Amino acid sequence: MSDQNTFEVHLAQRNLTLTVPPEKSILQVLQDAGVEVPFSCSEGVCGTCLTQVKEGEPEHWDMYLTPEEQEKNDCMMVCISRSKSPRLVLDL
Amino acid sequence: MFIKNTWYVACSLAELEALGDKPLGRTICNEKMAIFKGVDGKVAAVEDFCPHRGAPMSLGKACKNGLRCGYHGLEMGTDGKTVHMPGQRVRGFPAVKAFAVVERYGFVWAWPGDQTQADEAQMPVFEFFDNPAWAYGGGLYHVKADYRLMIDNLMDLTHETYVHSTSIGQPEIDETPCETKVDGDKVITQRFMDNIQAPPFWQMAMSANGLDPQAQVDRWQICRFSPPSHIMIDVGVALAGHGGFDAPADKKAYSVVVDFITPETETSHWYHWGMARNFKANDAALTDSIRQGQGKIFGEDMEMLQLQQENILRHPDRKLLMLNIDAGGVQSRRVIERHLQQEQTGATA
Repeated sequence: MSDQNTFEVHLAQRNLTLTVPPEKSILQVLQDAGVEVPFSCSEGVCGTCLTQVKEGEPEHWDMYLTPEEQEKNDCMMVCISRSKSPRLVLDL
Repeated sequence: MFIKNTWYVACSLAELEALGDKPLGRTICNEKMAIFKGVDGKVAAVEDFCPHRGAPMSLGKACKNGLRCGYHGLEMGTDGKTVHMPGQRVRGFPAVKAFAVVERYGFVWAWPGDQTQADEAQMPVFEFFDNPAWAYGGGLYHVKADYRLMIDNLMDLTHETYVHSTSIGQPEIDETPCETKVDGDKVITQRFMDNIQAPPFWQMAMSANGLDPQAQVDRWQICRFSPPSHIMIDVGVALAGHGGFDAPADKKAYSVVVDFITPETETSHWYHWGMARNFKANDAALTDSIRQGQGKIFGEDMEMLQLQQENILRHPDRKLLMLNIDAGGVQSRRVIERHLQQEQTGATA
């Protein structure tokens, strides 16, 4: 994961845009901004942080979703997965 | 240090079967294992560690998928991979180690080292198990001492005179020098005592075999070490002058002391002891009485070894003496060292 990029997440419910730098996960950025989301394993196994995606293309790193579910790109594990598009819109 | 790429006796089948669908938690060469009989009747062993919260899998139960953790119901296969857990998707769960096991000779044997090298063809072969001409009885002691102290003990039977003075010890043991030979990986220490009075244990065995217990006998002890830590000791007495070890069956009482020594940690081991005999093989009461006698005798060794280990730990820098009577143990330790070096340099044993 050395080639991780910087991207934006927009939280639709809050109308808030945050920047995710390469060294941080979406979950960490959310927590830093005071946005509490449920989480547990922090490594894409347990499924607790499942978040709906409204726009953009996630880069799935988790082992929770099936490959078919990942292809739909309508949800993601924010603890480990990142973004292929410059901007993700999450239902948060 | 222990040889790990080899087969050790993990437990007797009877010990495991007595637990029913519960696993047996046992540490072998510092590897914590949960050994269990699957619902298909096959023996398996996995790391005694649930990938969920680190609970011991040995507190669980055998189930259709393999083994179910007794804490939150995680179910893993015999390969250590989680296959099911209520309310969870388990695809990303890390697998735990699985250990190769073989059920043979009334024991479960486990391979604690590199699983890719586990090879059933390397299982030792014994003529007296599964053989109707022979009877076997034995037991298990957990000994808080380095397994090599047990090897030393069994490869030098001089101690019998002192530790086992009321059963198999007799002064003639001290008075007769022993001889140690090395043949590749095998070490043999033997002692022959001719024309002596049998000690109490052997008088009992002579009576059981229809011989006059007061008769003069030729007595032998042939200790055979083979790696990793199996010691088979030919022991017996024959009516004096009939050829000793080679005397005809009706002139002797003869058996093999079976010692499977399984390291647990650096300073503890599981000692599976027993006796195989080829006289009165169908006499179950005799098997029981020999087991009781042997259990008492070997309990005397356990007490000695545990306190010896305590002393050694208290004085780690003190060098111990290696006398002529210790040659069997010294040579056996050399064989172990050689295998350890082979294991560490990656060469095939």
